[in-house]
Amino acid sequence: MNSAHVCSGFHRTVRLRMMTALLVGCLVSVVTAARGSELDELPLDSWKLLREVERYQLQIAEKYWVEQNWKTAAAEYEKFLELYEKSTGAAYAQLKWSLAQVKLRKQNTAIKDGFQTVVDYWPDSPQAVAAAYYIGRTQKEIGNTKKAKTALKEVVTKYPKHLATVYALNDLVDLATIEMDVPARIEALKKLTFDCQRVPDSVGVCQQASQQLAAHAFREGAFDDGVKALATTYQPAQLPLAVFDHVKTPLSELTGDAKTKDKGSRLADQAIAWMKQAAPADLTTPEAKTLARQTLLLAADLTAVARRDDQVASAYEAVVVANKTDDDALGRLAAWYKGKMNYDKARETYRRYANPFEGLGQVAYSFREQQKWPQAVEVYLQLLGQDAEHKVRWKQELALAHRGAQKWPEAIALYEELVRDDLANAGRWRWEVGCTHRDAGQYKEAIGHYRQCENFPENYNQMAWCHRQLKQPAEAIILYKQVAADSKPYAAWALLQVAYTREESGEQEPAIQAFQFVCKKYPKDPNAATAHAHLQQKYKISVTLGGATDD
Amino acid sequence: MSRGVSPSSVHHDQTAKRMTNSLAPFPRRLAWITAAGIVPWLLALAAWQLPDQTPEWVSVWLLAGIFSATLPLGIAWLRWGRQAGRNSLLAVCAGLYPIWWQLALFWSDVLELYEIRSGLATAGLIGLFVIGLSIVTWYLERKSRRIELAQIDVALRSGPILTPHAASAEIQNTGPRIWNPLDLRAWYYGRGGRKLKQSTAATIGYTALFWILAMLSSQVGGCQKIYEMPAGGGKQQTVAQTVRIQKVIRKKFVINPLSAIKFSVPPIDEVKLQLQEVTAHQYAIGYGEGTGAGFAGGTQRGKVRLIRLEYDGGDWNLNFGIGGDVNMLMEYGLLTQQRVGEKTESLRISQLASFPAEKSPPVVFLTGQGSLSVSNTDVKVLREYLRDKHGMLFVSAGSAHFHNQFLALMTRVLPDVRPVSIPLDDSIHRVPFALPAVPYVVPHGGKEALGWSADGRWLVYYHPGDISDAWADGHAGIPQEIYTACYQLGANVINYGHFEYAKWLQSKGASK
Repeated sequence: MNSAHVCSGFHRTVRLRMMTALLVGCLVSVVTAARGSELDELPLDSWKLLREVERYQLQIAEKYWVEQNWKTAAAEYEKFLELYEKSTGAAYAQLKWSLAQVKLRKQNTAIKDGFQTVVDYWPDSPQAVAAAYYIGRTQKEIGNTKKAKTALKEVVTKYPKHLATVYALNDLVDLATIEMDVPARIEALKKLTFDCQRVPDSVGVCQQASQQLAAHAFREGAFDDGVKALATTYQPAQLPLAVFDHVKTPLSELTGDAKTKDKGSRLADQAIAWMKQAAPADLTTPEAKTLARQTLLLAADLTAVARRDDQVASAYEAVVVANKTDDDALGRLAAWYKGKMNYDKARETYRRYANPFEGLGQVAYSFREQQKWPQAVEVYLQLLGQDAEHKVRWKQELALAHRGAQKWPEAIALYEELVRDDLANAGRWRWEVGCTHRDAGQYKEAIGHYRQCENFPENYNQMAWCHRQLKQPAEAIILYKQVAADSKPYAAWALLQVAYTREESGEQEPAIQAFQFVCKKYPKDPNAATAHAHLQQKYKISVTLGGATDD
Repeated sequence: MSRGVSPSSVHHDQTAKRMTNSLAPFPRRLAWITAAGIVPWLLALAAWQLPDQTPEWVSVWLLAGIFSATLPLGIAWLRWGRQAGRNSLLAVCAGLYPIWWQLALFWSDVLELYEIRSGLATAGLIGLFVIGLSIVTWYLERKSRRIELAQIDVALRSGPILTPHAASAEIQNTGPRIWNPLDLRAWYYGRGGRKLKQSTAATIGYTALFWILAMLSSQVGGCQKIYEMPAGGGKQQTVAQTVRIQKVIRKKFVINPLSAIKFSVPPIDEVKLQLQEVTAHQYAIGYGEGTGAGFAGGTQRGKVRLIRLEYDGGDWNLNFGIGGDVNMLMEYGLLTQQRVGEKTESLRISQLASFPAEKSPPVVFLTGQGSLSVSNTDVKVLREYLRDKHGMLFVSAGSAHFHNQFLALMTRVLPDVRPVSIPLDDSIHRVPFALPAVPYVVPHGGKEALGWSADGRWLVYYHPGDISDAWADGHAGIPQEIYTACYQLGANVINYGHFEYAKWLQSKGASK
């Protein structure tokens, strides 16, 4: 395996993991916040009605629930049910037990023995509505779409004003999307947008529905319906930006296809006209002025999105004229020129910036985009001479231009200057020195600089990679083993790299053992899958070790 | 040249004479032997292609004998061909090609050289196409030349003396409209480049005919393909490991409290219990009222078969055959006591279309490590198999790449179904063997089994971690409890597919 590939693969994996973790975290928190508030929590008034012993038992169960120890939490809720069957908290305990079963991936048990029991035994309790909703949602989760739809529709019909209905409608939207049932989807979205009461726990779902409904309406060419849907969510001052955000994709798609070009053109006319009329007539207040400028700018943006190339420049120029000068409008116009590959015109536009340094910075960046390194360097040098206040920024940009031009000594010298000048970020610039040496193929020097960095384990990985380039597998393996020992999340990855390093150095048997070790020690890690596939494909070895279960 | 012989007719006669001479010493005895062998050969071919409809006494060795007999017979024909001349030799080679191709396929199948068999099937078909095309070209050239010469003869006899070329040109420009495609003067060849047009038309026509025939033969052969489940019955319940508790009754003593002898009375807690595990199945595994483990709607000769799908682009045959998935099939037989096939089989996806709706394989297996290339036609066949024929796809990911490829394929096959994580308490994980968790070798595609469900049943069971490696010899070196669980999971999925299919057949029967 190519070492460069390994190195970049590591970076990519780290970035991907971070992004996935962030995304999942955000989603989970949003969903939990939206759905975990009222439906699966015991109201304060109900807590008051519990006896002390009951409260104590329920708190123990809740503690395990919060710790996500689902198995123990389920056992504690079950204990509550056995001990205090007649308690007012019994329905709640049964509901939470069922939710714990869902977490344990025993959804069928949760539906049959949990949620349904709540509905049957405590039909008048607030938890019965929640249980009825969870039956539908859980059926959806396990792919029983028909049963899910029936259950969710029942919730909508029986409890139209309840929070559960909002969630049920949201799930019905999801099901209709999967089944490509457009009328059902729109019906549910309309109910969520216009009919459901927006309380703190439902407002997110309703807002999202209004946005989806607007996007659908715009795609169908029904501009007014789309605006009407968005108006339920956004204040008048926010509406122009919201309309732009939701109309730009359908507009671009419609005008980009010859079959729907006319429809797109009509939508563009309506959107631009609406945007212009959204500007306030009375411009006495600063807010009104800002809004007027924004609507004009958005109308120009819509012109660009609608591919009306002959009108784009004049639309942005109108904004510039109206505000005497407008770097934002000029920047957007220049970006549009760049999109049309007219870089000279774009640079001309950047040079008109009210803030000349920012404009020059953009000019230099456009040269970098075109890989015209000498011109970029020239502009950055000009900036360094003129804009002493932002020296660090321009030096960094200049160093990047040098790296692009493969002028390694110049780039390294600049980074070294930054190490001295910008002490607060000295570590970052040291890292860049190391990376520049690495890119230049000066691996020994790179190792020296990486050694001075403190971003373990990334610096160790880079050092190991450089050792591999220098055909020093022993040193690389030592470093990878240190990573494996001290950084748990990267342990499997580091051991896999040990195996690859041994393979590169021609030690076939130890390499095979190292791959097998990854499978054996981390059978649940995706790196084990890589090792397993490599052993089978390269060495035709089927005995790769590993083996685990998903519990 | 009123009655004289034209140069073209001389040439024509010479050609005919040469042809007659080359075929003159025809080996009558060899021809009789060959003719007598054709019928058993065709019967053996049918038996090999349709094993389900073949009596059990027809063994593979009998077929091997009949097919292999074509070898000495073919050599004898080749020897004659060499003596008879080039044309005869070529004719013999062309005739022998499909027979020996089929022989090579048969032996590679018997010896379980599946990769070679697959390669031979494809290469052989290409060879057959090329030979056919050569024959068509040769025949076309010969015929059109004859027609041309005959027409020149006629023109020379009736008109003024012209050069053959001028005569030919004149013929082409006069007379009624000609429809014969072998005749270069046919009106639809136009005025210029007639030969090229004729050759192009012949090539296109032949290619289309070959393709249609190939499709038809696969369809006709396929129409007779059937899958029969083993007859019997059983319950869809988790195999229970019953524990029978027996009390060991100690001897009772009647103790006289006033006796001079002192007795030590054992405390009640020391009563020993003898536990005896009864692991035998308490009921047959299957579905229906019949006797013995099997399925309603099955037949006496029916067996549970493990059929794997072939596809282009990757290694469909990962862990295929002896030492691979045959282990699973055998284990399935042991675990469920249902009749199973002797070996695992493979089919192209397109061949699934050949099964009738009520005799289709209830479950087919798919795995691999490389790319998964499936045509739009195959996607349609797969969708029809899963939806209309009530089939099921059992898939195991052999690599992360395969995982991505398969998920992409499913968005084409079932665009309106989203994959979900299969619950641990679903019947597919509980019947006949209760699995507390999904076992895997390594997590190529996550750790949870995914399923595509419609109408209350799983159309696709997707195992994320190389289950076929766990079935193979050596079990990939994983712990015993994991590979045992992998066998049980395999048995559950295969049994689930058959159970759902039997249920469907029964409901169809009831509705009729």
